[in-house]
Amino acid sequence: MRVAESQRRAWSVRGSYERHKRIITAVGAIILVFVLGNILVGGFLNVHEILITVKLASFLALFGLCQMVVMAAGNAGLDLSVGYTATIAAVFTAPIMNGHNGHLWLAVLVAVAIGVMVGLANGILSSYARLPSLVVTLAMAEVLQGIINIYTAGRMINGTPSPVLQTVAAKSTGMVPNMVFVLAVVALVALVVLYRTKLGAILFGVGENETTAYLGGINTKRVRTLAFMASAVIASLIGLLLLGNMGNAFKDMGSSYVLPSIAAAVVGGVSLRGGNGNFIGVILGAILLQALLNLLVALGWGDAGKWTGFGVVLYVVLIAYVGDKRTR
Amino acid sequence: MNPNRTRVAPRLRRVFAQPEHASLVVLVAMVVIAAILQRNFFAPTSLMLTIDALGPLILLTMGQAVVMVCGALDLSSGAALSLYTCVLTWIMESGHPLTGVLALGVTIGVAVLVGVVNGIGAGYMRISSVVVTFATSFVWLGIALFIRPTPGGQSVNWFNAFFAYDSVHGMPKPLLTFGTVIPPVLQLVLLACLIWFLISKTTVGRYIYAVGGGEDSAYRTGINTARTKTIAYVINALFILLAALFFVGQNQSGDARFGEPFTLQTIAAAVVGGISLTGGRGSVYSAIVGAVIIELVNKIIFFANIPYAYGTLIAGLIVIFAIGVSQLYTIYSQRSLAKRNAPQ
Repeated sequence: MRVAESQRRAWSVRGSYERHKRIITAVGAIILVFVLGNILVGGFLNVHEILITVKLASFLALFGLCQMVVMAAGNAGLDLSVGYTATIAAVFTAPIMNGHNGHLWLAVLVAVAIGVMVGLANGILSSYARLPSLVVTLAMAEVLQGIINIYTAGRMINGTPSPVLQTVAAKSTGMVPNMVFVLAVVALVALVVLYRTKLGAILFGVGENETTAYLGGINTKRVRTLAFMASAVIASLIGLLLLGNMGNAFKDMGSSYVLPSIAAAVVGGVSLRGGNGNFIGVILGAILLQALLNLLVALGWGDAGKWTGFGVVLYVVLIAYVGDKRTR
Repeated sequence: MNPNRTRVAPRLRRVFAQPEHASLVVLVAMVVIAAILQRNFFAPTSLMLTIDALGPLILLTMGQAVVMVCGALDLSSGAALSLYTCVLTWIMESGHPLTGVLALGVTIGVAVLVGVVNGIGAGYMRISSVVVTFATSFVWLGIALFIRPTPGGQSVNWFNAFFAYDSVHGMPKPLLTFGTVIPPVLQLVLLACLIWFLISKTTVGRYIYAVGGGEDSAYRTGINTARTKTIAYVINALFILLAALFFVGQNQSGDARFGEPFTLQTIAAAVVGGISLTGGRGSVYSAIVGAVIIELVNKIIFFANIPYAYGTLIAGLIVIFAIGVSQLYTIYSQRSLAKRNAPQ
């Protein structure tokens, strides 16, 4: 009896390790980076520093949610336009709010409208015209950057975020930055929608096996288009939060999040083949990348170190998690 | 009914069902529009400028085409181009001609390494090629930024031979005349064509098409698909290096962020040239036609007096338009071919 009990425990421990391998690896890597930072530079292992890292990582984690939704819908989907969607939303809504709370609703409406349009274009081109989503969204990024260039040519981007937005995105309650609460709420909503509703089941179903979903009467192309729309709407709302955090809008505010957002999703165990995704893992991936960025900046490696570091991390994680070597 | 008419129409349709033929028609139209907008389009000096602007895009597109025929994509080609210009100008010292040889040797090594790293991810580990090369593009960017945080660097004098023979000191007279007849950038393109011609006659060249046409079937017939993909990426990297040689000859400097806008243009140009995004179909030489079309579109926009700020927007829209139309065209022509070949 006792033997059987302990055996079952052992099995279940191993089983849960297998299931959460990537999350455990991510947590281990985060601890490693923090300890390394504390040894090499110092000042990494205190509550304040950790909370600041989590706050900065929360923007990245939200971008990671965009990637997760698109990746979960399968067909090797990724959204390279998220950073630019956020920028364009921030640039266009800053003059609307102009430092007052009164027009916040209009700003949110405009942001959502921008997201819907961008996502619809991405979705139609990649699922109905059957073009590779990376090429489509990369071209979309260029189009959005072009619109921003035209809008900002020879003029200042004026306007500041509304005080409410600043409180949410930049301020703290006690020691805890308010963004941490935002992230917690978004995580809860994402978990409920993805794992407890029909919508989530359909999304994962299409990503897991398109043919089965199609034969089951699901309009798979529409689901993929909706995934791209969700990604773009989330991205433009992140644009509002970035605006609230930084206090003003500028040309390149969102573009540097694109690569790390994909890396965060892959580190968090989201499959590139579609059909799964765990937002908790994505959050951990975002914290890992942010901690790594802090370390690289503290070491004085700047832009070069940042891009080399993120690129190498994504490449290595792809090989370790997604790689599927075939032996004869 | 006139029997001739009924016979011409399907034949014409069959000619147009080949994407290569359709892009040739577009090419002629583009040349006509460009010649109308720019009065001295066919004058020798302006033709030389056009060729100098065209050459690098042709080289980059041919490289992208090899990878696309093999069923993959390379999103790191622009970043790799920047990396090579940085490495070349980092090693070279303007007073020492021999450093040019060293730089050339080292950069060839770097190019092979770039191809192999992409090949390991997309070939051996079978990860989606777009994601792998997206990741590596940032590695190349980061390394280039380490070498050269701001644009600059120096070059040896004989490297000018990759741009124009007459700015090289002590160039013998016969070579100088040869350089005016066939400009250096055209020589680089011809070299790339020769390399591809030789490779396409070997089994590796056939394997590249086979892997692009159907990786699993190619694998089952015993082809080493991973190695074939890696070779395709290495060929691409070497073609990008040829473009880098031209740019270093032209500018005598390196810039870590200079190649970025090229990546999308090469994909668009290859698709416009009739190379299938799904791989296995299209001729690498027809990439030249696609590159010329894209470059002429850029030229037309330039001569249409559109403000500079609109450049990025229009470039993005052109890519979406070009790829979208080509894809719809492919779907349509496949359907019509299937309909005709179906038993009556």
